[in-house]
Amino acid sequence: MTETVPDIVLSIAFAFLMIAMIITLIRLFKGPSVNDRIAAMDLIASIIMGVILVYLVLINNAMYFDVPVIISLISFIGTIAVSTYLKQKNG
Amino acid sequence: MDKIIISVLILLGSFFILVAAIGILRFKDLYARLHATTKATSFGLLLLLVGVSLFFNIFPVYVKSLLIIIFIFLTAPLAAHTIAKSFTGNGENSENTAENK
Repeated sequence: MTETVPDIVLSIAFAFLMIAMIITLIRLFKGPSVNDRIAAMDLIASIIMGVILVYLVLINNAMYFDVPVIISLISFIGTIAVSTYLKQKNG
Repeated sequence: MDKIIISVLILLGSFFILVAAIGILRFKDLYARLHATTKATSFGLLLLLVGVSLFFNIFPVYVKSLLIIIFIFLTAPLAAHTIAKSFTGNGENSENTAENK
């Protein structure tokens, strides 16, 4: 608990997550169908959860640990809502 | 020693999320994209959460981390299934799928 993770590890992790975010945003703007965009939004929520988790290690304080719980709940509800709306509109 | 395990877990978790993002950009079909994202993202977040819990090493963080892990592993397949089900019902999109195959 008192040991800190080296800064280079956190920098590499942030770089991975930011590259993932840029790639997913390309798919979000380019996606041929609405379903691709929903999948990209779901992935963006997961990437933001990862960013918050790495940031918690960076600031060495667990006060934002509630945020990933809420993001996982809201992301699931949003995905289900938009998918069900599309299914009812098309079928 | 503890530090090395936490570093490896955080790096592997970020790497798996990056692999999921590459998969959603490179694959041709919506089903292949869902296959890439839903599993790699769940595994990457599992590794990240285990690493962060071992870093803080206090009881509430373990409980919330277990809660997030259970919820993600319950709902990620459900979300992918619902997206796939809403895709097949669409006429122009199924034509688009046949063109990509």
